[in-house]
Amino acid sequence: MREGALPAGLRQTAANRPGQAQPVPTRDIPLQPWARMGAVVFVLVALLLSLWEYEARTRIGLRAGDIDDSPQAWAEARRAADSAPVAIVGDSRILFDTDQARFQALTGIRPVQVSFVGTNSRTLLENFANDPKFHGLLIVGMADLIYFGPRGVGVGAPAVHDYVRNGKPSQLTGLWIDRWLQNYLAFMDSDYRLSKMVPKLDHGWRKGVDSPYEDVWKISETFPGRQYFMWGRIEAPGYLQAHARHAWNGFKAPPIPPSLVNKVIVRSVEAVRRIRARGGDVIFVRPPSAPQLRVNEEHEIPRTLGWDHLLATVPAKGIHADDLPQAQNLVIPEWSHLSHKCATVFTDAYVRRLTELTPRLKLRADAPPPLTRLDCVPQQIAMAGKKA
Amino acid sequence: MIFNSLTFLVFFAIVLALHYAPFFSWHQKKINLMIASYLFYAAWNPPFVILLWVSTVVDWWAAQWMVRARRERTRKLWMLTSVCVNLGMLGYFKYGGFLMQNFVAVAASIGIVYHPPGWDIVLPVGISFYTFATLSYTLDVYLRRSAPAGSFLNYALFVTFFPHLVAGPIMRPTELVPQFEEPRRANPNQMFFGLALLTLGLFQKVVVADGFLAPVVEAVYDQHDKVPGMLDSWVATLAFAGQIFCDFAGYSTSAIGVALCLGFAMPDNFRFPYGAVGFSDFWRRWHITLSSWLRDYLYIPLGGNRHGQARTYAALMGTMLLGGLWHGANWTFVVWGGLHGLYLSAERWLKARFKGFTPGRASLIALALLTFLLVNITWVFFRAKTFADAGVILTGMSGLAAKPSPLIAAGPMIIAVAIVTAIFGTHLAMRNTTLEAVIERTPSVAIAGIWTMLLFAVIVEQGQGSAFIYFAF
Repeated sequence: MREGALPAGLRQTAANRPGQAQPVPTRDIPLQPWARMGAVVFVLVALLLSLWEYEARTRIGLRAGDIDDSPQAWAEARRAADSAPVAIVGDSRILFDTDQARFQALTGIRPVQVSFVGTNSRTLLENFANDPKFHGLLIVGMADLIYFGPRGVGVGAPAVHDYVRNGKPSQLTGLWIDRWLQNYLAFMDSDYRLSKMVPKLDHGWRKGVDSPYEDVWKISETFPGRQYFMWGRIEAPGYLQAHARHAWNGFKAPPIPPSLVNKVIVRSVEAVRRIRARGGDVIFVRPPSAPQLRVNEEHEIPRTLGWDHLLATVPAKGIHADDLPQAQNLVIPEWSHLSHKCATVFTDAYVRRLTELTPRLKLRADAPPPLTRLDCVPQQIAMAGKKA
Repeated sequence: MIFNSLTFLVFFAIVLALHYAPFFSWHQKKINLMIASYLFYAAWNPPFVILLWVSTVVDWWAAQWMVRARRERTRKLWMLTSVCVNLGMLGYFKYGGFLMQNFVAVAASIGIVYHPPGWDIVLPVGISFYTFATLSYTLDVYLRRSAPAGSFLNYALFVTFFPHLVAGPIMRPTELVPQFEEPRRANPNQMFFGLALLTLGLFQKVVVADGFLAPVVEAVYDQHDKVPGMLDSWVATLAFAGQIFCDFAGYSTSAIGVALCLGFAMPDNFRFPYGAVGFSDFWRRWHITLSSWLRDYLYIPLGGNRHGQARTYAALMGTMLLGGLWHGANWTFVVWGGLHGLYLSAERWLKARFKGFTPGRASLIALALLTFLLVNITWVFFRAKTFADAGVILTGMSGLAAKPSPLIAAGPMIIAVAIVTAIFGTHLAMRNTTLEAVIERTPSVAIAGIWTMLLFAVIVEQGQGSAFIYFAF
């Protein structure tokens, strides 16, 4: 070590010493009041972080305890699902629209949530089908376009592909420390990282390519157990809700060819058969979507061609939101996922139906009374709906 | 474990506390450091610690027996034992699948159909780095460049010392073992300068490489539905040049900072490489500890420049091709190395042809720019997963892509170009100086301000704990 920077050219590296044993390197320490600077930096960073935390809580509306989901958290849930009596796989809809606490209150069983946003539930179904350890009930939530579409795993690919790596000791400890910190700090939200915020300034400056402004921004809050709910700021009318609706682009896509649907169904049949052959079971659930999206979804994959065809072919039962009287006309703030309160109502409705479809789930004797639309739809909207 | 993880911050705080605890002897502190280093490595995949032990024990004994041997043949035998064990492990874990694939392809080309069982071997992280570090020990002893380490603990700690264990700088035993002989502790200046370097390294990795450059690279290199045009191909490749520098130099800077906090000196691994004028200059600045390792243990033994022109060019090409293969079990890496070999050969020929040429300031900048652009061509093969992918990017870069589509949004593109321009400009401006010299003549208020902003940016960026690119090598 040397106090003071070496003059230019005097700091040699191995590149200057060919074919010889390399000596102990010299590290020169620039002459600066490092300890004093370190103290100043510590104070300034603490100050800036306090301001940023205040901004996150007040202006952005984040809260401490909103725990980011991650591939590591998914890996943890996936491991737990191996021995779980009930696991849920699917895309973001079943993830947002299932209230695990309500599920448990009704059945005594808390399901393990293994869904992942933007992820094809068929690939997750196959993931469980290939896992000899799983013998429970698998609830497969689906958004038809993703399930029958041509994409592979989707957004959850890193989680699924790196499942083993994400269970390594360093990943697990990182997950635990991260969770602990997020219980106290609101600004630790992956949707408000520096590199996510800055590119949003581009409002579509280049034609022909989607700018980051068009991406789906934060729409959820996550609670322990990977319990997703709609973020409060999306539930309230305003800029963020409008942006969230805009980001879906109406779910516009070309119609899915019947040949592809048939292929998906064949694979689904095989996956369900494998799970049932070793004593497990599968039930499909189709959560609701708003009419603004549903019209396009029906255009691209009509219910008769997709859902009905699937259920007529696979050796499994299913629950479609359309067929649940208590789940009609719920609040879907950004047209794709239910509001926090309506997720509880939908869960109540579909879990009661589940108990009729499978002996693996029984309604508890002390189960709370059924919920209705009025338990989640704001009164004035409900009244207006009634009049209409 | 990676530096840009919360786990590391907790780990490092504990290591520092133990290292500066007054009630431990120096011997005990070294044992603490070694246990910490094994934990650091085991956090990835505990069973692979066995490989570290094998490498440590075999090379220790090989060097011991080499010194005790009376006959030259015996010495050579022990050296070869060490080389075979180390390269054998590297070959099995890193190149086994690749060799099998090529064997199957060659067999198929002569009409033999062979279906081998699946080669499902996990690559132990950093195996290429610690294999080279331990090999340099036995090779230095064999070449009588240095004596064997005086104590097994010092040697084992040299192999496992966590700051350099998984991604370098590739240290030689003579650089580190002597530092373990006497108690080391950082004074306040060294400690805080080490923390400043750690901040700088994390900023390079978390904010620049992962946050702003990686998405631009992935938008072009990882999509296969659309064809990139000239602008997108060049911007993505330039962004990758920035990403890989910030990723790898960020790791090295962090490692140097971490070691400094513990009172140890580690060598420079990067010296503003994009300010290089020519390719020999580039390799004196890029991954210095690898290029000097290849020079000392491959290029020179292959004959170096002492056996005529033809042999020199052959040694150069051989070294660079193997250097390319060191980076990964894929022919694209070999081509990357081969291109650098060709560049170095061409430069050597041109230097001999124009001996008296001394570039002025303008030509120096032009030559640096040309070097940088040619280096970027090689990065295409480094980043692309297949030759077909590389072909698509190179076609795009040449402006010959049919029906290209825009792939990078304007905002991220502007940010990426600004970052890469800043990196190139900084490297060019600082090519004849050191970071330390620049820091020393900068007012402390400015340094504290920059340090604050870097640390704040790292924390606000949060990071996704993504692994460093070079961990895979």
